[in-house]
Amino acid sequence: MSSVPVSAFLALALILFCIGLYGALTKRNTVIVLISIELMLNAVNINLVTFSKYGVNPSITGQVFALFAIAVAAAEAAVGLAILIALYRNRRTVNIDEMNQLKN
Amino acid sequence: MDFNYFLTLLVFSPLLGILLLAFMPKANESGIKMLGVLATLPSLILALIAYFSYRGGNDLANFSEKFRWIQFGGQGAEQSGMFSVNYELGIDGFGLVMVVLTAVIATLAALASFHIKKEWKGYYMLFLLLEIGMLGVFTSQNLILFFLFFEITLIPMFFLIGKWGYYEKEKAAYSFLIYNGLGSAILLIVIMVLFSRTGTSNIEMLRMILNTENAPLVAPVSESLKMGLLIALLVAFGVKLPIFPLHSWMLRVHVEAPPSIVMIHSGILLKIGAFGLIRFGMGIFPEQFADLTVLLAVLGVINLLYGAFLAFIQTDFKMVLAYSSISHMGIVLIGLGANNEAGIQGAIFQVVSHGLISALLFFLVGVMYERTHTTTLANLGGLAKGMPIASGFLLAGAMASLGLPGMSGFVSEFMAFFGLFKEMPVLAAVGTLGIIMTAVYLLRAVLAITYGKAEREFVGISDVRSFEWAPILVLVGLIVLIGVYPNVLSEPLQATLETILMGIGG
Amino acid sequence: MENAWLIPLFPLVSFLLLLLFGKKLKEASAFVGILATLASLVYSILVLLERLSEPTYKAETVWLTIGDLQLTAGFEVNQLNALMLVIVSLVSFLVHTYSKGYMHGDERIPVFYAYLGLFTFAMLGLVISPNLLQTYIFWELVGVGSFLLIGFYFYKESAKAAAKKAFIMTRIGDVGLLIGMILLFWQTGSFEYDEIFAAVEEGAVSGTMITLTAILIFIGAVGKSGQFPLHTWLPDAMEGPTPVSALIHAATMVAAGVYLVASMFPLFNASETAMLTVAIIGAFTAIFAATIGLVQTDIKRVLAFSTVSQLGYMMLALGSAGYVAGVFHLMTHAFFKALLFLAAGSVIHAVHTQDIEKMGGLWKKLTFTGPLFLIGTLAISGVPLFSGFFSKDEILIAAWAHGNYGLFWLAVIAAFFTAFYMFRLFFMVFSGEARSEMKNVHESPSVMTLPMVVLAVLAVVAGYVNTPWFGSFLGDWLVEGNEALGHGHIAGPGWIMIVATAVSLLGILLAWMMYSKKSISRDWLSSRAPIVYGIVKNKYYIDEIYNQTVVFGAKAISLFLRFIEIFLVEGIVKLTTAAVQALGKTGAKIHSGQVQTYGTIAFVGLAVLMVIFALTGGYL
Repeated sequence: MSSVPVSAFLALALILFCIGLYGALTKRNTVIVLISIELMLNAVNINLVTFSKYGVNPSITGQVFALFAIAVAAAEAAVGLAILIALYRNRRTVNIDEMNQLKN
Repeated sequence: MDFNYFLTLLVFSPLLGILLLAFMPKANESGIKMLGVLATLPSLILALIAYFSYRGGNDLANFSEKFRWIQFGGQGAEQSGMFSVNYELGIDGFGLVMVVLTAVIATLAALASFHIKKEWKGYYMLFLLLEIGMLGVFTSQNLILFFLFFEITLIPMFFLIGKWGYYEKEKAAYSFLIYNGLGSAILLIVIMVLFSRTGTSNIEMLRMILNTENAPLVAPVSESLKMGLLIALLVAFGVKLPIFPLHSWMLRVHVEAPPSIVMIHSGILLKIGAFGLIRFGMGIFPEQFADLTVLLAVLGVINLLYGAFLAFIQTDFKMVLAYSSISHMGIVLIGLGANNEAGIQGAIFQVVSHGLISALLFFLVGVMYERTHTTTLANLGGLAKGMPIASGFLLAGAMASLGLPGMSGFVSEFMAFFGLFKEMPVLAAVGTLGIIMTAVYLLRAVLAITYGKAEREFVGISDVRSFEWAPILVLVGLIVLIGVYPNVLSEPLQATLETILMGIGG
Repeated sequence: MENAWLIPLFPLVSFLLLLLFGKKLKEASAFVGILATLASLVYSILVLLERLSEPTYKAETVWLTIGDLQLTAGFEVNQLNALMLVIVSLVSFLVHTYSKGYMHGDERIPVFYAYLGLFTFAMLGLVISPNLLQTYIFWELVGVGSFLLIGFYFYKESAKAAAKKAFIMTRIGDVGLLIGMILLFWQTGSFEYDEIFAAVEEGAVSGTMITLTAILIFIGAVGKSGQFPLHTWLPDAMEGPTPVSALIHAATMVAAGVYLVASMFPLFNASETAMLTVAIIGAFTAIFAATIGLVQTDIKRVLAFSTVSQLGYMMLALGSAGYVAGVFHLMTHAFFKALLFLAAGSVIHAVHTQDIEKMGGLWKKLTFTGPLFLIGTLAISGVPLFSGFFSKDEILIAAWAHGNYGLFWLAVIAAFFTAFYMFRLFFMVFSGEARSEMKNVHESPSVMTLPMVVLAVLAVVAGYVNTPWFGSFLGDWLVEGNEALGHGHIAGPGWIMIVATAVSLLGILLAWMMYSKKSISRDWLSSRAPIVYGIVKNKYYIDEIYNQTVVFGAKAISLFLRFIEIFLVEGIVKLTTAAVQALGKTGAKIHSGQVQTYGTIAFVGLAVLMVIFALTGGYL
């Protein structure tokens, strides 16, 4: 197992996070934005698990925390999609550029 | 006599009035007015008790009170008393004088507020809140507490101007809030820097720590930092005073606010600037202050002349008085610039004396506006025929303001110049031009109102009546008392002066 | 003498009583005022009598504490003070009495008497002040009394303007006094007269400082005593009721300047330059005002200019080290000028005009006023045996003895003018044919004539207290025990007296020929030199010059400052608001409502922060 260095896990997390960030900041489709956010959360989860195993003070807390994050992410995705559908029913679009009602 | 909680009672007694007012029916005009005036009386009585017990030999230190209030930092800090903010009230001679002045003018202004035409309930509640703020400012022994009370004065003032003022009241209220808000922001920065670097916000402690060599500090306070802080203080209080060119808000307030509020504003609130400069500027940074005296004196002369010359061409009496306030605050600066006993005492005298005189003049403005509905000089004239008593007092007020001996204005003006002539005779000689100009613009304005042919519509107007007598007589009485026997004021001040001068090392 | 401080308090009590109860007392207010001044007068005479045999008395108490400094207030009775007390309270008492008749029927009598009381209080307080600060205090109060009384007819625009002008002009002088006084304090460490003089004598003050302070104090005197160039308020001050002119603008307040210089005499005497300044200003004013007096047609203005001129004489005397001569003339002038004003008031009371062109032939109708006016005229003209003769003579001798020959001749010419214009006035009012419109002219009541009789007697006999023939009692007494004041009597060549007599008689003769006998045409000057006549008639256009320069200058400065106010101060404020608003608008644009934009900005910001963190290691 020790053949895989910590940096590899971290690099994977970083790549995932960057993809997620890119998607969240650039995509027009709200569904894709939501999925990108999930990617970023998963990147964080990888980091948490990595450090709980290979960190300076390895402890189970990290994994517990990752589980929490997954649960919260699931809830968030559910709520996010629900809002999105409600919006879609009203506006007939999932284009994020058109969702700027908060401005006024 | 036990003086525990005495100052707390003194400061917060108007709160009782606010509570009672909250239960008054809105439409009960006379009841609200009566209660509003009564609510100012406890602090007046307590202030007078304090004054007379001091004159009777009681030490002012007996009035101090102190409670641990907020604690920043960890356990260690708590033990050493560092980073704790105490609720501490106390007065020295200067504070005592200011508290008495505040209490007196607040009661009189509450009487003058009988001229207010609408929403008395809200008016008096805000008014009493304002009084709490002012009394607190003059009694707090601690910069953070001072700042809190300072802010408390701003909010009621904003609403009092914005709601009960004249035509451009909203604009005046906003410019009041913005200028003073900026001033307090700067003040807050100064307080926070001092607090974080010394670990205390007590004024006495700060004075001691900052003026002893090698005192234990949390972080060093260099000489240049002190200078910077002092200049920041000068700006913060300069807005309040106001110092040229930070004065334009104050003109609007003088013109737009109701006269009873201007009595408070011009009589007390402007004086917080002077109070702060003397108490904190001079008290905490005496050495740096000594380096700034020339600047202060020059600013003072500029204020004096600038205000005087501009008052000379105003066409509205309230504007004349507003510029005259600027001009007279120049005398405070001149006194501070002299930075010797006579000068500082002159500055303090001017604070008190101008408080009384401008309160009197603005009260009379209110009385006259009530009858003539104008303050434009060109529309007024010959009022001495219809209202000889009010005109007489207006003339007396103008005379006091232009420094007629036998009235308080002379004593302060004389001492300020007396002090400055010792240090900077040439500048002082330039400043005396202001004495002439004061006479010119005041006589021009007052004679335009009272002398000359009476306008026909002013012939049948009524003179001073009922409740209007009290403020006039009390204010004139105090002005003359200080003018004839200035030692009533100068004796309580001697101890304060000594402390300040010890800091200067003079 | 220990209770001499009560003297000023009687009129003060009268002032306060009349303020409080004047409305109820109505015309009876006059009695309050008269009684109060009578009390002061009696007390003053007692004090003077006591002072004849006892030394100077001085008592003081702390007035104001400034740190270690203790400024005091109190009173002093020395020769000069005691004499002034009597002069002031006497004239004031007589004027109070006279006003009872003159102001009869005016509904504001209580106010009038209240003001008179205030003024008398201030004036009496002024003369017993033992130090400069207290002098200054009462000096200003006197100015206010004068201001109020000049503006007594407040509904008249001219009275309003005159009152304002009087106050401001004298205030200019007062500031000089204030500066001088404060500078003197920081040199000598005291406001007390005696301590200042002691310091000056010891040489504790440098010569230039003495000159500077003396001249500054003299500026105060110039303002109050209507000396050139601050004289213009005095003629205008005639807008006040005539008794006021007699009291304030002839006998007492305007003499305060002379009194001040007299009481500061040792300081002036220590500086040649200061003395010369005083003498030159005095002599110049004397002749300058006399020439204006030649052509005025308002009875009170002629008297006003003659007052200015006579005050110039007093200054000349003091500037020529003639301390006694100055004070002596101050005393005699107080009597005869008050007499002249009261008599003029009586004339005005009778004919209801002040224009002498409209008067004439009143000698037969005003059987009391006429002779009384004549006595005053003779006294001021310096006709021998009248009081003015002796005091003027003293002044001329002092000027000659001090070596001011040029000024001496100026004074002689001024004396000639004085005699001429005073008799011009007399002849135009009293001789000739009565005008048709002067039908129902009648003599004033006795309450008005009696004070004039008292003054007339004094105008004749007051001179005999100090004459070269019978001895200089006044002079010797005044300088007793104080060498700094000079000698009681200055010996001068005998021909001076003859010259003085000659010029005054010449002046009278010329006036008689022009205005009574009319053998010389009246418009002799105006037809031959209209330009000169015009200039003199318009008082050398001094008022106009002031309007064009000083008033205009003040207005210009004000307008300039308003320009600064509007464009600079308000401009900066507007600029700041505009900048803040612009910033706000730009900021608002960033808020597009696009969450992605927000996210991008937040991320970039975070990245920048992290770069900075990485580069600096977290320490700025």
